[in-house]
Amino acid sequence: MKTWISFLLPDDEYKEKKLLHFYAEGAILLIIFLLTTIIGANFFSFDYQFTTIIAIWLFGIYVFIRYSLAGIEFTDIDTKQAYKKQLKVLTIKSIGFSIIFLVLYCFIIQFPTKLSDLYSILGLTLLASILLFTIEFISLTASYRKNKKLTD
Amino acid sequence: MKNRIKITRIMLNMNQKELAKQVGVTRQTIGLIEKGEYNPTLKLCMAIAKALDKTLDELFWEVDDE
Repeated sequence: MKTWISFLLPDDEYKEKKLLHFYAEGAILLIIFLLTTIIGANFFSFDYQFTTIIAIWLFGIYVFIRYSLAGIEFTDIDTKQAYKKQLKVLTIKSIGFSIIFLVLYCFIIQFPTKLSDLYSILGLTLLASILLFTIEFISLTASYRKNKKLTD
Repeated sequence: MKNRIKITRIMLNMNQKELAKQVGVTRQTIGLIEKGEYNPTLKLCMAIAKALDKTLDELFWEVDDE
């Protein structure tokens, strides 16, 4: 079935179906959050900009975590050898991400002029890289476990 | 859904990767279908039947043993 959302969906029909479920679950959570906010607005005052950002994050993070835990990202990893090889790729990817993040942060957002600024940027870069690696690692491990059970 | 894809594929000396490539899905999807953990669409069922040179009945129809 072709819809305007097709560009966000994979070609494989199982992955497509799973991803559609995650989007739908995320959308329901988003609606619940927004309804709670509307009702809550009668009793408390909210910062609308902050609430909108939280709502977008809620949807995005939920879909991303569900996708990572489902083990559907690395569909061909079913041997220990392939798993280790992919782990190396992920490590290199995370290091590459750190370098690009650091360079872009320094040139676009803020170039460190003090030592404390440099430490802050390095800390942020390290945190972002560890987070990226952890999520990819969880996804890879979940995929490997799932695929191992399905291989002939 | 029970099916005879795995046995048919093995009889044809075909691995999951080859079948997956022929029908345009991932190897994981083929594995899930073979284990009965995912019910494919009719379109995919037909693609698998064609790739294995069988009819839908031969692959997917359940016959009760009396």
